[in-house]
Amino acid sequence: MTQAQEFETLEPRRLGSGVVLVVAGGAVGLVALIVSARQGLTGWPFVIVFGLLIAVGEMVQFRVDSSRNRAPIATSASLAYVMLRGPAVAIPPEVAQIVAVAGLATLAGIFPRAIAGLPWDLVISSRRVLSVAIAAVTFTLVTPDSLYWNGSWTHAVPLTGAMLLAVLSAGVTDALVGAGQDTERFNRPFPAALRDELAVMGRIGLAMGISGMLLAAGTSLIGLWAVPLVVVPLLLTQFAFRRFASAQRTYRTTVRSMARSTEIAGFSSPGQNARTASLAVAIGNDLGLTPARMEALEYAALLSGVGQLALADPSPGGASLLRTREERQRAAAIGASVIERSGVLDHVAEIVRHSNDPYRHGRANNADIPLESGIVNVALAYEQLVGEGTGQSPDKAMESIGLGIGAEYDPVVVESLRRVIGRSFRF
Amino acid sequence: MRASLLRVTVAVVAVSALAVLVVSLTKITFGLTALALSLLMLLGGALRFKVLPNHPAALDSVALVAVFVIAGPWYAVAVAVFGYLAQLRQPSPLVKRIFNPSYRVLAAAGGGAAYALLGGPVGAEALHHIPTTVLAAVAGTIGHQLTNALLLGLILWIEGQVPVVDFLRSVIGPTFLPMLGYSALGVLLAVTWIGGLGIAACLLVVGPLLVVRWALSQYQAERAAQAATMRAFIQVIETKDLYTRGHSERVSTGVGMLGRQLGLSEDRQNALEHAGLLHDVGKVGVPTSIIRKPGKLDDAEMDAIRLHPARGVELIGNIPFLEEVKSAVLHHHEKYDGTGYPAGLSGTHIPYFARIIGIVDAFDCLTSTRSYRPARSVEETLAILVQDKTTHFDPELVDAFVAVIQTQGWSAAAADQPAPDESVQVSIDHDDLSLGTGGGASGSAAGPA
Repeated sequence: MTQAQEFETLEPRRLGSGVVLVVAGGAVGLVALIVSARQGLTGWPFVIVFGLLIAVGEMVQFRVDSSRNRAPIATSASLAYVMLRGPAVAIPPEVAQIVAVAGLATLAGIFPRAIAGLPWDLVISSRRVLSVAIAAVTFTLVTPDSLYWNGSWTHAVPLTGAMLLAVLSAGVTDALVGAGQDTERFNRPFPAALRDELAVMGRIGLAMGISGMLLAAGTSLIGLWAVPLVVVPLLLTQFAFRRFASAQRTYRTTVRSMARSTEIAGFSSPGQNARTASLAVAIGNDLGLTPARMEALEYAALLSGVGQLALADPSPGGASLLRTREERQRAAAIGASVIERSGVLDHVAEIVRHSNDPYRHGRANNADIPLESGIVNVALAYEQLVGEGTGQSPDKAMESIGLGIGAEYDPVVVESLRRVIGRSFRF
Repeated sequence: MRASLLRVTVAVVAVSALAVLVVSLTKITFGLTALALSLLMLLGGALRFKVLPNHPAALDSVALVAVFVIAGPWYAVAVAVFGYLAQLRQPSPLVKRIFNPSYRVLAAAGGGAAYALLGGPVGAEALHHIPTTVLAAVAGTIGHQLTNALLLGLILWIEGQVPVVDFLRSVIGPTFLPMLGYSALGVLLAVTWIGGLGIAACLLVVGPLLVVRWALSQYQAERAAQAATMRAFIQVIETKDLYTRGHSERVSTGVGMLGRQLGLSEDRQNALEHAGLLHDVGKVGVPTSIIRKPGKLDDAEMDAIRLHPARGVELIGNIPFLEEVKSAVLHHHEKYDGTGYPAGLSGTHIPYFARIIGIVDAFDCLTSTRSYRPARSVEETLAILVQDKTTHFDPELVDAFVAVIQTQGWSAAAADQPAPDESVQVSIDHDDLSLGTGGGASGSAAGPA
């Protein structure tokens, strides 16, 4: 697979916080299990049905947003189990029982995936167990035992408010943890990472949370009959996101494959585009760009050489740094017009158009030129110098790029590159 | 005749709708409940939603089921008009303005009758008889949909512009089961409404639906972006050779026409069109000097050209297309008698999509201008295909393709092509097969001897 995808799967291996999360999730689950084993479980039918829903939901998880797996059914079902009340549920489950059921069901769902060799992520699943625990504690704290679904709005409205609070507490906890992980993994500034996590929570997270509330309210009112009825919207959510995720994946690999055409045509060495893009992404993360801008940046770095295709045949071993600036700028302009023709990547085209402009004649005087152009410019230059490890040493390359600060390269980007290289970024 | 029959039918529908409406108005009490239910119907009518790709539907059916359970069929009939009000946007002819609200009232009545017939409980009773409620709600949805389809089908039949069977099969058929699934949502809405939430219950149901709608629209956007990106990219590759401009797009169109004739499934149809678009993508790896070279190619240059299918697969290998796309790109230069490249496959060993693309590829090549010859006419080209159908192509597919082109026509190659260059005598396009007797290409150009 492509470099960027490798990087997604390899990176978590050296995580510190991932281990902490798994240990914390495991510990909370274990304590909950011991406590509820001593007290005994209440409401067996609910335990079995919700446990089954969570396990199945975990089993059919899928990847969305290119970065993490999601299990809408498991999330909604476990949140719903948190918020059960009367009249249909005689004794609402205690916090310990909720966490124990969610934890065990999660493990039961991951197990078949691991055996079948499908991707699974213990860290994400631990995060879910932890946020379910938070939601359970919140809901129990704000809901007095006397509150139940008695058909009057004086009970229903406070209950819904409590459910919303519980769901939000789970969502915000997960966003905080996720932002922390992003900061650790991709060196994103924490506020930027939190902003992005909260934006995602506002859409996908809220859909899962509200589905959970619907399931909880329905089950509290009419018992387990509500489960098949709620499975319909849950499946709709799952179906819609699966389709979205697969279309997104196809599109991304299409752009990456198209970018490889310059390699097949002999304009660039194998892997050159992917290396440039991975460096550009690292710099973009360091500068805390929004997800939309990160995506455009990655595409621009991948496609920055595509204009060469419209030029004549490549000179043998023709790296673009060997050519004159005019030629490079012409290729960038052609590339930009090619990308623009697609009608959907205008921002990418804009980045590519200016990706070979020297800083002094470009961004320094023209605020319309995007920062991303400067990033691609620097990433291209660094990749040219260091290449696949056959070129200069990183220090040496950093030195020659440093000579071009302010004239050739954007000072902000070079500073960021220095940080990225300092954290021992390697292609 | 038709016009007057239409007017009479609409009048009958309108009068019976009015009668049902008046009766229902005497059966309900005007109060906060009626107001809240009207709001609910308004919301259901306003929220348009794709139950399937290309099948937008309003969610008034969901709202209607909820009204059956919350307050009973009479209320449903009384507030059904509000679903129509939400959709009033542009001015329409008077007949439509009368028919649309009327058939909605009658459809609501049809659904309500089915709900009542199965003894569907109303209000707080429903919470204690859930199985009956669900069953009656399903029947209510079916009744609503059936009356709906019946009345719309009747009008279409009288108008005589759209065949009724087509309408039933393409509009009503595919949405029937999903709408039945949505009725579960209507029951749930009613349950939480009765449970004390009232109109606020809408938030619990509408929230997730809006997000689902967002995700589906994102899905469409990603698909469109991918198609646009691939087309733009193909255009770049085609700049290498002026004469093949637009070739890939036309082949994609052509295989699309043939694919529909062959009745492929939606997925495979898309895959086939992608394969048609991408079949020559590997040309990016062939030096421009060879592609543009006037005059006969030597063996080494010919070998470079023969590499392009493999190059194409190398390029698109990572994209999660159906496997058929990749095999089609790899084998689109195979010939039915086994003399093609790269593998020399013959007959039905050649992948299905590759056989389809081979035909359309040759067809488009012959009907476009080349540096050494002008474009041939469509009839002439079809005759050449038929003549060579046993050696180069799958005969059955050729027959199907000829039939498609003869019935649907072929929009000729783009007019802005360069004129043939008189000075060029023997240049050969790699797609130009040794077809017909007056062809410019010799057999060796098309594959190993």
